[in-house]
Amino acid sequence: MSEREGTLTRRNLLKTAGAAAGAAALGGCLSGDGTDSAPSGELSTAFGNCWMCSHNCGQKAYVQDGTVVNLTGVDGHPRGSAGPDTEGTLCPKGLAQLDKTHDPKRIKEPHIRDEDGTLRKVDWETAFEETAKRLVAFAEENGSETFLDATSWAETSIFRTVWRDLYGSPERISRGIHVCAGPTFVTGGMMGVGSNNRVPDYQNSEYIIAWGRNILNSFAGQFEAKGVLEAIEENGATLVTIDPQHTITAQKSDEWMPIEPRTDGALALAMANVIIEEELYDEEFVENHTYGFEAYREAAAEMPPEEAAEITGLDADQIRRVARGFAEAAPQAGISVWTGTAQAGNGWKATQNITALNGLVGNIDRPGGLRLWKYPATASFGQVCEEDYTPRAEYKEPALKKYDEYSDYPVRHIEGIAHNLVPEMVDNDHINGIVCHHDDPLKDGNADAWIEAIEAMDLVISIDAYWNGVSRRADIVLPEATQLEKDTLGTGNWSAYPNHKWITGSKAAVDPQWNTKPDFDILTGIADAMAERTDNDDWTIFQQWDSHEEYIDDQLSTLDLTLEELDSGETNYELLEEYDYEQYGEDFTFRFDLDQVSSFATAAEEAGMDTAPEWISPGTYGDSTSEEYPLEFTDVRSVFFSHGSNQPHERLQDQFAKRNQLSEEDYRGNYLYLHPRDAEERGIETGDLVTIESKSGSGDLMAIVTERARPGFVTSQYGFGQTSAITTGEDARERSADGMNTMTLHDTQMDPITGQVDRHIAVDVTPAGGD
Amino acid sequence: MADRQDHWVFYFDPNRCIGCHACSISCKQFHGRDSDADDWRTVTHHEKGTHPASEEYDADTSSPIENVPISMSCMHCHDAPCEEVCPTEAIVKRDSDGIVTIDQDKCIGCKYCGWACPFGAPTYGDNGLMSKCNMCLDQGPGSGAGAESKNEQDNPIQPNCVSDCVGGAIKAGPEKEMVKEASQAAAERFKSNNERVIVEPFQGEENLDMVEHAATPDNAGD
Repeated sequence: MSEREGTLTRRNLLKTAGAAAGAAALGGCLSGDGTDSAPSGELSTAFGNCWMCSHNCGQKAYVQDGTVVNLTGVDGHPRGSAGPDTEGTLCPKGLAQLDKTHDPKRIKEPHIRDEDGTLRKVDWETAFEETAKRLVAFAEENGSETFLDATSWAETSIFRTVWRDLYGSPERISRGIHVCAGPTFVTGGMMGVGSNNRVPDYQNSEYIIAWGRNILNSFAGQFEAKGVLEAIEENGATLVTIDPQHTITAQKSDEWMPIEPRTDGALALAMANVIIEEELYDEEFVENHTYGFEAYREAAAEMPPEEAAEITGLDADQIRRVARGFAEAAPQAGISVWTGTAQAGNGWKATQNITALNGLVGNIDRPGGLRLWKYPATASFGQVCEEDYTPRAEYKEPALKKYDEYSDYPVRHIEGIAHNLVPEMVDNDHINGIVCHHDDPLKDGNADAWIEAIEAMDLVISIDAYWNGVSRRADIVLPEATQLEKDTLGTGNWSAYPNHKWITGSKAAVDPQWNTKPDFDILTGIADAMAERTDNDDWTIFQQWDSHEEYIDDQLSTLDLTLEELDSGETNYELLEEYDYEQYGEDFTFRFDLDQVSSFATAAEEAGMDTAPEWISPGTYGDSTSEEYPLEFTDVRSVFFSHGSNQPHERLQDQFAKRNQLSEEDYRGNYLYLHPRDAEERGIETGDLVTIESKSGSGDLMAIVTERARPGFVTSQYGFGQTSAITTGEDARERSADGMNTMTLHDTQMDPITGQVDRHIAVDVTPAGGD
Repeated sequence: MADRQDHWVFYFDPNRCIGCHACSISCKQFHGRDSDADDWRTVTHHEKGTHPASEEYDADTSSPIENVPISMSCMHCHDAPCEEVCPTEAIVKRDSDGIVTIDQDKCIGCKYCGWACPFGAPTYGDNGLMSKCNMCLDQGPGSGAGAESKNEQDNPIQPNCVSDCVGGAIKAGPEKEMVKEASQAAAERFKSNNERVIVEPFQGEENLDMVEHAATPDNAGD
């Protein structure tokens, strides 16, 4: 272990944070001299809703002298527990919210870039005035329609109102479709089951397929992991994991299918082949509720298990066994699918073919199957807004649809923008500025081109808690309070309560630390400054609410609830209206063939794709391995980190290193996992620093040689790299915690239909020559 | 002396452990311990087997991959070897609830306890004094030595690792309650394995003896 004396330690941190909170209460500023002022006051409790991965697991925070001193879960919470009377917990990244709240590496003051190019600290009033001034100048010089709203996972819903309706930009890039699981979400919508074709009704299931998902280590709320374990214990459910790598979910599975990457579409068709041929499908459902079955039947007929076995590297008997098991357990059989099958060039067909299996066995909205989850109806902005304003982006067409420069991209028929195309749009002067919130697009695809694009933009506004690749390059930096310092409201759908709509909310557990503000206050501050500068009354729209809590109470008015009521009892959630299964009605149609969806049919024709399920091989729309780049790379998630939000936290870094049995090394970045055969050919051993290179970029990281890796296939955790929220460390250990931004390997590979970043990249790996 | 059945023990089910390390992180947070201080609760990962897509894989003879996480801490042994060797009687196996505590005011940092413990649970901080899990009797190294018995508290606080275990793999409580929650196989092994920690049999390819495997100075207690 390296010497780390003199750095700020957790013990010191608790002392200084306590001092800071006290000083702030007196209107003073942080002295931070570390004198003995450890929290000694009364211990109180408060609630929170975890926003690390935005899935709202309930938090119980223990607060002393304005400092969060312990954090745990909320029992019975819909996302953070296994359901009624079960304990709520927090996963490692959720626990890190404690460290994040008091992290001295946070951005503590607003900053504005001077004309000479240096960022200087300013007070909030100046920050808001300068933001308004520069937004007005930008609109005059470039047009507000060239300003990109890249805000993500906000704890308030008014971002869209500010940037689209009031400022007037139609350019919006969100996390979901562009960098997460576009094909999964969009095919689900078009086929008739919505984007919730990803989260089955675990607890009632007897057969669960984790398809390209490591549910036990990468979940959308802990209820997923808990639900799977419950189903195994309570129902004796069969768990099947389809994953090239061996994961903890594979470890707990009855069947692990170590599939050749990007061949999921062939496996899904082969399963359909078995189910149709053996007449195991739900004839009544197919007859009454589906469209395009003949086209599906023909596609499936062309993929017998033996052929799929060749393509997928799997065993034909296992394919038959799993197909039969799934169909026989149906409708109590669910497929959990998300990013793993979506983040590939042929991800569209993979998810279409997989989603089709649900229609085939008729598990739709039936217990244990594909649940059509419902949201509670909180009031929309339009409903709570008592003032008129002119939505300015309503009739503006996004550049991707408007200009001929993009006519070769089929995605323009489906989406208004695609993550990978932003650098090109900056070159074309169609995007000239960006507001980025709680996100780092420099880690989400073609990193080098994005860095150049950010540097070329006329105006970059960063609303963030950390100095990262965007905030370090920004013209305006607005330091955001983190989740435990904010009032929050979550209106979830999927959860441990399959028959209830539900809601969760909490008041801020502690005051905003240092000179930071919650995002609601930052946006309303900008709006007020814009009202002042433009003399346009539309910008006064938020003045009807004195606080975020007041606004949340208006949102809750449709449910006859207040935030105070949600927050003041034993829990911070409410179960609302009950709803039954099979609520889709007689007229419901599940589409196997999407030829009736004209936007898709047009995009598919341009992409050379059929509208019905079909098999599309890897490389058709993305990389193929070659002699020069013989390995296939893709990035994976870790239970320790969430999208760059908490990569700076030492506890997570250290436990991540321990999990990988490399904690004795100074290195604290992400790891490259490769199979012993691939390692031996290259003279690589565990703990070696290696260089990974694609045709468009390269980077260094530490290798782990393991049988868990599939031969020919290498992986690493995403969210690290030189644009991280760290890079300031003085010792080797802290500096190395940046790891490698795996998207420096990426060019512009994408799913042609949704523009989803294709993260499968042809690479080679060599020893880096370091130790 | 309280009945042995009232002594608190840990229960661990490797089949429910998802290897996420929330237990270690929550322990560190609760006790205000630096990230790079030793872990009082340690998660280790035990891997064997061959990837089925490997050229070397032989479906008839090779095992598939096993990659099993194990979470362990001080087991608060009923025979507490650490207590027996402590020259200053700083270590106490409490009669009331069976929790083994260290009074750092009496500890002289001789490290005999570290040598005596078969699991490597006692470790030593910057001050050279012994520290280890106190089942969250109180917060911080060396705390809890004089704390009220868990059995006399109205609603005894669960150790933080238990409260934050995502998979519900770790439990703690009086032995009589923990044995009731355990499978017969786990209870029998507990009886025959010196009654230190209740561990459910691992439902894997081979029934690895998890306790023996995990509980070596290399793997336990960091």
